[in-house]
Amino acid sequence: MLTERFDDRERPLDPRVKITWRIFGTLGWLFPLGGASVLGYFLLDGPLRWLPLTVALVVVVLSATWYPGARYRRWRWQLTDLALEMRYGVIVHRHEAVPYFRVQQIDIERGPVDRLLGLATLQVTTASASGSGALPGISEEQAPLVRQELLLRAAEAIGDHMGDVNDAV
Amino acid sequence: MLGIPFTQLIQALIFPLFAGFAAGGRATLVIFAFLGIFGFITRFLDWQRRWFSFDGEVLRVDSGILSRNHRSLDVARIQQVEIQRGPVQRLFGLATLRVETAGSAAEVEVDLRVLPEADAVALRSAVRVSKARLAAGPDTGLDPDELSAEPERREILRVPLRHVVLASVTGARLLVLPAVIGAALQFVGQQIGAFFDDWVERAIEAGLATAEGGLLTEPDWRLVAIGALVAIVLAMLVAAAVGLVRDGNFRIEQVDDDLYVTRGLVTTRESVVPLRRVQLVEVQRNWLRRLLRYSSVRIRSAGGSTGGDGRVTVPLLHEQRVEALLREVLPGIDGIPPLTSHPPPALRRALFRWLRPAAYLVALAWILPEWVAFLDNPATPWVRWATVALLPINAVLAVIEYHKLAHGLTHLVVAARQGALSLTTTLAPVVKVQAVTSRRTFFQRRLGLTTLHAHVAGPGALVEVLDAGRDDARELQARLTEHAAAPVVPPDPEELPVAG
Repeated sequence: MLTERFDDRERPLDPRVKITWRIFGTLGWLFPLGGASVLGYFLLDGPLRWLPLTVALVVVVLSATWYPGARYRRWRWQLTDLALEMRYGVIVHRHEAVPYFRVQQIDIERGPVDRLLGLATLQVTTASASGSGALPGISEEQAPLVRQELLLRAAEAIGDHMGDVNDAV
Repeated sequence: MLGIPFTQLIQALIFPLFAGFAAGGRATLVIFAFLGIFGFITRFLDWQRRWFSFDGEVLRVDSGILSRNHRSLDVARIQQVEIQRGPVQRLFGLATLRVETAGSAAEVEVDLRVLPEADAVALRSAVRVSKARLAAGPDTGLDPDELSAEPERREILRVPLRHVVLASVTGARLLVLPAVIGAALQFVGQQIGAFFDDWVERAIEAGLATAEGGLLTEPDWRLVAIGALVAIVLAMLVAAAVGLVRDGNFRIEQVDDDLYVTRGLVTTRESVVPLRRVQLVEVQRNWLRRLLRYSSVRIRSAGGSTGGDGRVTVPLLHEQRVEALLREVLPGIDGIPPLTSHPPPALRRALFRWLRPAAYLVALAWILPEWVAFLDNPATPWVRWATVALLPINAVLAVIEYHKLAHGLTHLVVAARQGALSLTTTLAPVVKVQAVTSRRTFFQRRLGLTTLHAHVAGPGALVEVLDAGRDDARELQARLTEHAAAPVVPPDPEELPVAG
């Protein structure tokens, strides 16, 4: 059983998530931008032919150094009394609110890098595919607790509506 | 257990046999015959191995030839039931029954093909009766005979044939055509005038030249323009015919708490959308229909399949009747709520959105050919200046779009309007809102704007509030989250502010 309930303060992610982002961010940019710089070098004329390569280098270096940290600093999640709220995004600031009452399913997902680092991602699914959220960078000890907390709150929310609007869709 | 008759066998035979005979050449005949026999066997096995039963609460379907698939579907979860009858099916008294539940899978949840029509209707009314019983509760003394009798149908809406034709002629796909006609007429007008006689002479000459085996080195633009006009007229006729076949005889009726939507002249489709399952209603008006004061209305349930079955589109409706339809489809909601427009910085974003693609085109036509080695400057001066002309046109469209941007929230419904040439007002009952997200790009942050999405069930179904003021959006998100988390209709509507 749970020893303590989660309060509603804003929480950061586990700092180790930066390593995951650094690896996948760099690899993710390397392939498309590598191809683009080769293409650019052969297709363009004059000094412009070095432009794609320069841009690619800058992007890859940034995604390996600055971006994961900035992303980590922006990430906040919070269990308010109504919803799981997530605020994140460096270039585009996002704010997602998933009410407990609407939660249909919660998955714990762990990729190979996540497993090495002892991290997990919580996938929170609602009846709307676009309105479902993912909470990355939760330590593997905490992930089941967060999931249990979310399920408990979802059950409570549905219990409050029994016989009234008990069907979320 | 409802049976499946022998007649479906005949239908399964028709296509393969026909294909086999129609093919010319011996090799193709053999291939087609083989495919036909194979298809026939597959269809036969599929029919033989597909069973379903309905016990009043759960619909069970067993299907699959090699890998068996067993599905059970709770009546309470059903989002939409559809009966479809093609011409051949009608000949043999058959029908296809489709059942949809919420979910984002691309395929229909239950697809029972080649069912006797009577069975399909019986199954549908059985589903209806069970749902009514569930809704009424177990201990209410409802008479089952009374429930199972075919209920009274109340007609909500009927779209006359001429409106269906008008809808397909003014539809989205044909929307560019008037612009093309305009441009073509202008072009022709410039060219013709004093040179009309000369043109007739040259046209005859051109005809003679081709008849003698010579080729026109330069395309005659006037002939091209005439050809384009003919093509446009033909396209319109085809569109009208397709629209008639698809949407002819369109009507919406209400039976208990369900909407029955019937449409189609050749293949008739009858969809049942439970009123409680309506997730989203979109009122669309493109510029041509706005001139004629008509709208089209799209009703979306949470049906999962993306084949257009999760939504029902009323092809054409006079503006004055839209509010009445909304009241029927979204019970308790009094039409489109009062909308508030967005702050002036949103205009700058609209300008940016519209001018960016035009600027790309200008760059493509003017700068790129100078730099790219293998391109031999393909852009003619005419094309170059046409891209520049796009800039003021798009700027005007941006201003229009800004003035149309608006959103509104009551305790029952959230609504948003956007679009420049084609105007869409989207409404969703707040009870259906699943999650609320907002996003602010770098430029939006500088201008103090936020884009907000209220997600409802169904693939890509959401209400988008584009570029609302930051504080407005924050309040809207908080209030919508509250509604989504505690979806009880507030007891006193007057306590809540009307517009967001």
